[in-house]
Amino acid sequence: MSESLTLPAGSAGTAEAPGRRLVAVLRPAAARLGTAVLVLLCTATVVFFLVRLSGDPVKVMLPPDATAQQENVLRHSLGLDKSLFSQYLDYLWGLPRFDFGDSLFYNQPVRQVLADRIPATLLLAAGAFVVTLLIALPAGTIAAMRRGKPADRGVITAVLVGQSTPPFWIGILLILVFAVGLHALPASGYGTFAHLVLPSVTLSVYSVAVVARLLRSSLIDVLGSDHIRTARARGLGPVRTVLRHGMRNASLPVVTVVGLEVGSLLGGAILTEQVFSWPGVGQLTVQAIANRDFPLVQGTVLLFAATFVVVNLLVDLSYGLLDPRVRNSR
Amino acid sequence: MERIRGGQSGPRAGWSRRSVLRTSALAAPALTVPALLSGCGAPPADAAGNVLRVSQTGDPKTMDPHKQGDMTSMNALINIFDTLTTLGRDNTLLPRLALSWKAVEPTVWRFELRRGVTFHNGEPFDAQAVRFSIKRLLDPATKSPIVELRYVEDVSVVDRYTVDLHTSVHDPILPAKLSLFGGVVVPPHYLDKVGDEGFAAHPVGSGPFAFRSWQRDHELRLRAYADHWQGRPHVDELVFVPAPNSSSALAALQSGGVDIVAGMTPDAAQQLAGYPGVTIGHHTGVRTSYLSLDTLSAGPLRDRRVRQAINHAVDVPLLIKAVLGGNATEVPAMIPRGAFGFDEAVKPYVRSAAKARALLAEAGHPDGISTSLTASNIDANVAEAISGLLAQAGVHAKVNLLDPGTYAQRLTSDNHGALGPMYLAASTVWTLDGESMLQSNVRSDRRQSRWHDRRADKLVDAEELSVDPAVRRRAFSGLQQLIKDEAPFVSLYQIDNIYVQNTRPSWTPGAAGILDMASAKVAV
Repeated sequence: MSESLTLPAGSAGTAEAPGRRLVAVLRPAAARLGTAVLVLLCTATVVFFLVRLSGDPVKVMLPPDATAQQENVLRHSLGLDKSLFSQYLDYLWGLPRFDFGDSLFYNQPVRQVLADRIPATLLLAAGAFVVTLLIALPAGTIAAMRRGKPADRGVITAVLVGQSTPPFWIGILLILVFAVGLHALPASGYGTFAHLVLPSVTLSVYSVAVVARLLRSSLIDVLGSDHIRTARARGLGPVRTVLRHGMRNASLPVVTVVGLEVGSLLGGAILTEQVFSWPGVGQLTVQAIANRDFPLVQGTVLLFAATFVVVNLLVDLSYGLLDPRVRNSR
Repeated sequence: MERIRGGQSGPRAGWSRRSVLRTSALAAPALTVPALLSGCGAPPADAAGNVLRVSQTGDPKTMDPHKQGDMTSMNALINIFDTLTTLGRDNTLLPRLALSWKAVEPTVWRFELRRGVTFHNGEPFDAQAVRFSIKRLLDPATKSPIVELRYVEDVSVVDRYTVDLHTSVHDPILPAKLSLFGGVVVPPHYLDKVGDEGFAAHPVGSGPFAFRSWQRDHELRLRAYADHWQGRPHVDELVFVPAPNSSSALAALQSGGVDIVAGMTPDAAQQLAGYPGVTIGHHTGVRTSYLSLDTLSAGPLRDRRVRQAINHAVDVPLLIKAVLGGNATEVPAMIPRGAFGFDEAVKPYVRSAAKARALLAEAGHPDGISTSLTASNIDANVAEAISGLLAQAGVHAKVNLLDPGTYAQRLTSDNHGALGPMYLAASTVWTLDGESMLQSNVRSDRRQSRWHDRRADKLVDAEELSVDPAVRRRAFSGLQQLIKDEAPFVSLYQIDNIYVQNTRPSWTPGAAGILDMASAKVAV
């Protein structure tokens, strides 16, 4: 943060009035919000011009035996014969009103096409999030408590594998084993809890690795500190010590990263949705790119960007709320 | 990110850190639980009962028949909407909403319409509905990707059940063009009432099935229309589900979630062979593949002998056997079997690497030639195999694979060399008339033509503009002979339509591979 935002009052360590604390949070927040809007505007611009480099959507929409005249008629009716700059202005003008234009392929407003698909992606991300917490929290804790022991080494190895394996490949393996081999779960589709299992697990692998690793390292940090030794000296068992005293201090960075992972879960959904033909925004993005559906590609990319920006913003702000040292260092 | 050390807690004013953490820890699962619950909705209807579930590789693009031009969408919509004509299982053109048709003038086709037909909402079908439908398709505001009716200029109502289509030139296959995309009839009053968006959200047609619900990329549900003019279809409910890959199709078939899987590639279908309760049906189709050779640009392909050599070198029967698992039929000269104009007398090239080498030597290339072969990456396997066959005869063709979008763009660009000296292409001749196969790649003025030959242009004019079928047939025969002699293409094969099914359904598909399910039955 720049110097101009430094707060005159409230040196570290002194108790502040709640009102002043709120200002201390809000002023940088306003600045961050400005940055976020700027980031989105840049993204919108870059996407607008990049997507137009991919070629002419009319060529994809019409069969190969269409005449040049038919192409021109369609191009005109889609507004693609306007100058690039005026198309760009139209597009920018619509953004504040959440008007992303009409999808060329679906013939519907982009807003509506996105709204139809967002629930599926949210469901998948939520499923993956739950899987992440269920696996990463115990794994990270056990690794930290058994530091250097086989259990720890096992977790570290698994984390390394999880972080370096492409999710689509994991997805294909899971389909082979559980759907084609064992007939235990559906290979693809959407609608029941069973359909959610394999994609959620696939999508969560990377996040599990990230969260488990971070929890392990921050717990190890905390477990070496004085108050933990005190707690052990008072006769608390190792597990209770970790859960009651260690977790509280170790969880701060973990919460941050978990927040950021929610953003990447939404982004990672692109490949996973493709593998499991999950009808969410990720699959929609891939189809939109293949169809050269400019407005829809713009809409999906902006949606992902906005998700990331908002999540980052929330994490940043909550961090300021959570940790006085962060707040006062500004 | 900053590392946090030690356990100095901050002051306890306002939000304490602990309470924030506790709340957020509680909030995370709380947010996810409702979402999870909503995901465990009703399981899909079980396959028992009089329900037919069909899967294809994709989902329809839209429920508005005038705003789509792809087979995936049409396969679903042909069940909701009736067309004016239809192609029978014997490949002849049959009446549907039109009872009869004739060219009253070279540029006027007159259609007598069926009486007593109603749309699913009770709206009566008449000449006005036909006029409205075709006008709507042709209106630029509709942004229709359907191109078949390019010669239609106007539609006039003669009386309540007679309608005239006026064209700019004589279009001998207009009635066939009205058997699918171009011939769909929509209800004018309903459309006026609900508008385009409302119509796409809840389509109403006069077809054998009425729309029930559609969840994009998940399932489309239709129910039998009891008042259909052909009588009620055999199944109560028809469901379309997309299954983009063979593993999902197999899983769906075996779990009984799907009865028929359509649109499978031969290699995907082979993966399903041998599973109990799964049968694979092959039916000769009309999607016809060929190589286009650039005879216009400088290079060895300008020499007819080199082009003939390439035709001798590409061993099509071997290609069909090795790459397509035998699921295709060799096409001698571009026009597929089953299409009007196919001439049995024109035989395919004798496939022989030795003959090819001899011809190349004769043309001054004793050491062979180097060239390139461009294809859409969907056809990667076939392109690589053709390149291998060519290499055996001394034609070294480097394979360039493009993504389908780029491929389509170059195919239709005004630069005839955009896809290089050789490219692999395919066309679905759903009108079952040779014209559809040759309309864009032969006559000198057409965009994909890379072969300028006056004789060919004359023959194309004859088959496209003549009223007399015999004259057209002769023109097609001449074209096939000329294409074989001059070798501007390498004709390859017409690929089978492959249907994989479980034991429940009985249904006979047509040559165009359209999923019209009114005649299908299921064993309940």
